[in-house]
Amino acid sequence: MALFEAIHVHKRFGDHVVLEEINLSFEEHKLSGIMGPNGAGKTTCFNVITGRYKPDRGQVIFDGQDITGKPPRTIAQLGISRSFQVMNVFDEYTARDNLLLAVPGVRQKGLNIVHDLANDIEFNAKASDVLNRVGLAGKEDVLASDLSYGQRRALEIGIALAAEPRILFLDEPTAGLGAEATAELSAMINRLKQDVTIVIIEHDMSFLFGLADHINVIHWGQVVAQGSPDELKANKWVQSSNLGKLA
Amino acid sequence: MQHAERWITREMLVAFLIFGTLPLWVDSVGLYSYIGVEVVIWMIFALGFNLLLGYTGLPSFGHGAFFGIGGYAFGWFQFNMMPNLWLALLFAIVMTSIIGALVALFVSHRRGIYFALLTIAFGQIFFFIASKWTSLTGGEDGMLNIKRLPADFGFVSFSLQDNTALYFFVFIVFALVVIVLWRLTHSPFGKVIRAIKQNEMRVGFLGYNVYFYKWMVFTISCAVSGLAGGLFAMAQEGAYVQVMSLQWSGIVVLMTLIGGGFVSFWGAVVGTVVFFLARDLLGTYTEAWLLWYGLMFMVLVMFKPEGIAGMWQDAVKALRRRQIVASSPSAHPVGK
Amino acid sequence: MDFLYNLLPHLVNGIALGLLFALIALGFMLIIGVMEVINLAHGSLFALGAYIALVIITPEGGLAMPFLENWFGIAIVPRYVAALILAPFVVAFVGMGLEFCLRRTYGKDPLYGLLLTFGAALVIEEAIRVIWGHGEYVLPIPKEIRGGFIHADLIWSTYRVYAAIFSIAMIGLLWLFIEKTPYGAIIKAGAHDSEMVRALGINLPKLRTLVFGFGTALAAIAGIIMAPIWGIRPQVGVDAVVPAFVVIVLGGIGSFWGAVIAGLMVGMVVGLTAAFFSDWSLLSMYLLLLAVVTFRARGLLGKASALEN
Repeated sequence: MALFEAIHVHKRFGDHVVLEEINLSFEEHKLSGIMGPNGAGKTTCFNVITGRYKPDRGQVIFDGQDITGKPPRTIAQLGISRSFQVMNVFDEYTARDNLLLAVPGVRQKGLNIVHDLANDIEFNAKASDVLNRVGLAGKEDVLASDLSYGQRRALEIGIALAAEPRILFLDEPTAGLGAEATAELSAMINRLKQDVTIVIIEHDMSFLFGLADHINVIHWGQVVAQGSPDELKANKWVQSSNLGKLA
Repeated sequence: MQHAERWITREMLVAFLIFGTLPLWVDSVGLYSYIGVEVVIWMIFALGFNLLLGYTGLPSFGHGAFFGIGGYAFGWFQFNMMPNLWLALLFAIVMTSIIGALVALFVSHRRGIYFALLTIAFGQIFFFIASKWTSLTGGEDGMLNIKRLPADFGFVSFSLQDNTALYFFVFIVFALVVIVLWRLTHSPFGKVIRAIKQNEMRVGFLGYNVYFYKWMVFTISCAVSGLAGGLFAMAQEGAYVQVMSLQWSGIVVLMTLIGGGFVSFWGAVVGTVVFFLARDLLGTYTEAWLLWYGLMFMVLVMFKPEGIAGMWQDAVKALRRRQIVASSPSAHPVGK
Repeated sequence: MDFLYNLLPHLVNGIALGLLFALIALGFMLIIGVMEVINLAHGSLFALGAYIALVIITPEGGLAMPFLENWFGIAIVPRYVAALILAPFVVAFVGMGLEFCLRRTYGKDPLYGLLLTFGAALVIEEAIRVIWGHGEYVLPIPKEIRGGFIHADLIWSTYRVYAAIFSIAMIGLLWLFIEKTPYGAIIKAGAHDSEMVRALGINLPKLRTLVFGFGTALAAIAGIIMAPIWGIRPQVGVDAVVPAFVVIVLGGIGSFWGAVIAGLMVGMVVGLTAAFFSDWSLLSMYLLLLAVVTFRARGLLGKASALEN
């Protein structure tokens, strides 16, 4: 059974249907992709799945549990973590503090006023580990606002990763990155996928085709094609659309 | 460095040294000792308020209400229950916490403009009630004849009638408040509320119950304000409705920002000192000192919202950079 | 039935109040629309309008200079009309000055804009205290709009009827301005679409300054009309800001008629409370604000806006 499923999810804003009867399922230990042109409803799809918006109809199931319409914090506590397309890091905090905040153990100590976070070996080790994994080793004490654009993107992913997710959603991680940085990111995600289930939204097709085990193509709020990258390359719809040309 | 600094820091020791010896030198700089009592009480109030404005980014424009309620609660308790300093202060804290917690239920789902306007509305409601409920508060005349109760430790009891004795008492309360709030703001809890200020939505997506944290900060902030209000009623030997007006609620906002509450724990303390110095020094030259003070606030919001503490931090940074450059001409200056 | 019948004059008072609230709120809304700033100083500018009218109408206002003797010697009607025209201009200039200061906060955390206008509110209020003192003034008005008249066995306040008619006229003019002139179209566009404003070749900073001035002038007009009802006190501005906000939230941000309808509702609630518990009538407004923001934060017409951030 899939780790995460969206069943007949429907979402409108006013009289504009953004998601129409979407069915998605993400397998554990796999990297799944959601692709589609801009405005196809990809980000809305993420927002519904991770609790930012309530779907009008349909169900969202995580690990056999119905999480439809639950608030983001509840969904996050279950081990669902996400990054954002628009940068959402804590600018006044150092890279380390950004990550510490996301560590579930720190969250459980959130009301503890005696705890000494700066000298907590376990949590700091976790933060350092995540910094290594996203390629920010050595930047521990740099303020997030002083990091370069690419580093901030990496930190954005790091925050989502530090939450120790069972499933990690990444919203357009390549947005604004150059070719070289994109290649680095690709290598990093390739390493991450060894130990965490990942779902990525992307419109950079080559990026996704190189990484994903399974891809869903969304267009006009509907899933128009599904399958492995190879199957999709053979798919008539994808070939006839301009998405196919990119692949 | 590590473990002692969790509770007491060097800055704290400096502050304690300055304020702990204030009665010894205050006359020689041309001020009088009662002003010390007021300054220290307002510092407690401003520190409590800054939990909201500086740490959580929540602009409460009605906080004078809680300061006022603390004063009335302190007076009511000593008149109607028991003339015991500890219990009366405790009652002031508990009452403001309860009322603050109820108000927080309404405001903790809000931020920005809605938060600001709701706090104005609540502030005005309490101001109104306090002005009109004459049988309880004395209305416009105030609640008079509040006693400076002795600090009774069982085996020994200190009279606080004298301004110097009262000063030392409020100073000790201030020191305790500083230690507790420093710990609070430098704990995981403090980390979370500062994160809420920076990016509330992301904090929610990390699994934190943002509303609960905001509710909690608001309540704690009200409790500290109530404590300060109780002390103020004791210092003034009466509780008056004016402190609950929008103008006084505004003054604590001005103080905290001018001092640098956005960037430093000590901003609230510095800001309070500057306010009272401005009042007593500028005030001798011009009736319009509050006007100038307000203009100074506007200029700071425009050009340096980090306030005095922010300027200080910039100066320290610049100095360090110069030292690094001077000590090793080839090295690049490093930020921070 | 008698009881309800006797309430009628209070209802009319409430309607007059409500229309004035709507007028304040519309000025407020123009500013929110074009720059997404809540002007917490709106109330103080409202008060300033009343004080400046006082200066123009009576020597008690502080301009008791010899060369002005002739001016204060003429009949009150022209002085009153002059105040209605000149005072809003003066206040508009103050408002434009405030907008100039606000420019430093554009693009930053909206908290700073809020703090700046709050500071401005205190500064203006304090300036009023310094210039005119703490006491309360009464604005002299022409005898034609003073007193009361008896109609259908009930006593009606002439001034309230005048205030209602005046407000209706102002709201009507404002509506014509927004709907029928190119300026209005630009103001409406500026709210959501500064790109369109730029495409039309309009200088956005200038537009913002002008709209700010225009919005504050409306506050001043409302202040002059309200003065005989509420009296002129330095802190009267706070009592004006809150209803304006209630009206805007209740009516829905950006909705012209929403504001008018909400203004009438709020005015009637306050007017009727005043009939029974006059001391507490302003309290009813604050309670109304709580109720509105708690249960209907997006207003009756429910649009999301920058104010929630």
